[in-house]
Amino acid sequence: MYALEIRGLGKTFRGKKLRTVEALKGIDLCVEQGEVLGFLGPNGAGKSTTIKCLMGLIRPTVGSATILGRDIASAEARTSVGYLPENPAFYDYLSAEEYLLFVGRAFGMQGDLLSRRCEEVLKQLELWEPRRRLIRTYSKGMVQRVGLAQVLLHDPEVYILDEPMSGLDPIGRALVKEIVLDLKRRGKCVFFSTHITDDVEKVCDRVAVINHGELKVVDRVENILMRGTEGYAVSIAAADGSVEERVVAEAQLQGVISDAVAAGRSILKVEPRRKSMEAFFLDIVGH
Amino acid sequence: MLNIMMVTLKGIFRDRVFQGIMALAVLFLFIPSAASLSMRQVTELSVTLSLSLISFILLLLSVFLGGTSLWRDIERRYSYSVLSLPLRRSSYVLGRFLGLALFMLLTSTVLGLASCAAIAVSSTLYPAERPVVWGFLLLALVYATLKYVLLVAVALLLSTVSTSFFLPIFGTICTYLASGISQQVYEYVHSPAAAQAVSPMLKQAVTVAYYLIPNLAGFDLKLNAIYGVAPNPGGLALTAAYFLTYTAILLGASILVFNRREMK
Repeated sequence: MYALEIRGLGKTFRGKKLRTVEALKGIDLCVEQGEVLGFLGPNGAGKSTTIKCLMGLIRPTVGSATILGRDIASAEARTSVGYLPENPAFYDYLSAEEYLLFVGRAFGMQGDLLSRRCEEVLKQLELWEPRRRLIRTYSKGMVQRVGLAQVLLHDPEVYILDEPMSGLDPIGRALVKEIVLDLKRRGKCVFFSTHITDDVEKVCDRVAVINHGELKVVDRVENILMRGTEGYAVSIAAADGSVEERVVAEAQLQGVISDAVAAGRSILKVEPRRKSMEAFFLDIVGH
Repeated sequence: MLNIMMVTLKGIFRDRVFQGIMALAVLFLFIPSAASLSMRQVTELSVTLSLSLISFILLLLSVFLGGTSLWRDIERRYSYSVLSLPLRRSSYVLGRFLGLALFMLLTSTVLGLASCAAIAVSSTLYPAERPVVWGFLLLALVYATLKYVLLVAVALLLSTVSTSFFLPIFGTICTYLASGISQQVYEYVHSPAAAQAVSPMLKQAVTVAYYLIPNLAGFDLKLNAIYGVAPNPGGLALTAAYFLTYTAILLGASILVFNRREMK
């Protein structure tokens, strides 16, 4: 059973003057348990629409999807999901602690377990000190961290994060990456949308690229990076201690190394030179 | 549902709505002196003023709290985080309604106590020929509360179909105004006097509107409380049944509409 299974998901919005916008065009995508999938796409590509369909916020026009085998149309499908909306907003007349208690109860958590989990996630997200302040007094980054806290609270199997790094400073971004990597180590499924390619490269197992409502590519991150290899940077040390840096094509690499060794020189470093995920992404979306 | 209800109540208190009501409740202090201006019917006037002030405050609450409750959640994007929890939308709508209804009940209880104090002072200072029947005053308060709770349900229904606060707020105000006169208009168009003046089509339209618009006239027991006239028990039971049925229909419609609403 897949953690997330999307089959032919399509969404058409009806606009003014009977105009229609096809926001999603039959998306097929499966995400395994224990996998981190980066959902990459430019603004308006359909990332948030896909996620809103999964979370039952909008109804797909065609197709279906399941979360851990449960149809997304049912509220039960959301019991094993932690969802962070894009630019999240929470009842700002509650404190972070009260909001987490509200969310925990919605997930059926009670008593000691709920109090303990609240304390753990508030401490993890560095919100323990201001936990009793109303959310309306929080900075944007703190609100984002409340969002992450409510996602982690009930320790779900599936995490759907819509632009989780948005609005965070470098320290906050590092914290989110650390959390995602920790979830990955614990065998959780993380599906997160972003348009920051560096995030995908660092934390994801697979990447899915969406543009104009169509899924363009779904592949493993290492395959993409391997395909983008343009050559190798080789550092060769001569007998007199001088270091020569050379960039060679893949076909010539073996020969260059053999020649250097035969000449009594030592190879200090061989590094692949490859296109970044960003270049790959830009190729796909046609820029 | 209980969770949403408690959050709704907390939100109302944190937004200092209750403090605002308490500020308005200061007006009760002036009721005995204002009522004394009527030389002969001081107690009656104090009952009238008290019930009217309570009605006015409950009307404001039902229009503004009922009309903005769902709209605000959508406008401020709270709905994305709340509706993605494993909650049914029906529980969300009912939780919101019950939170608002509970707040109305609490408000009318507090204001009712304040009005009792004001009426007691008036009737002690200027004893009335006809003593205050506290039971009828309580009944008038209960039915006024039911009337405005029903109006909250109207406001909620309008919120579920609207993307702005105009329809819920002004639609509820219009419904309130129409609901007070629908009975008289219905009776007039069906009277022999109107047979010539009113076209059959208009008569049909008025009949349809009469059945669609809530009839709130039956909830008004002010005269019974003011003059100590016992209300008809059958009428009270019918009004209570009407409240339950009409509110259930409004909430059912709200849930149906909100279930289909997309959070774009």
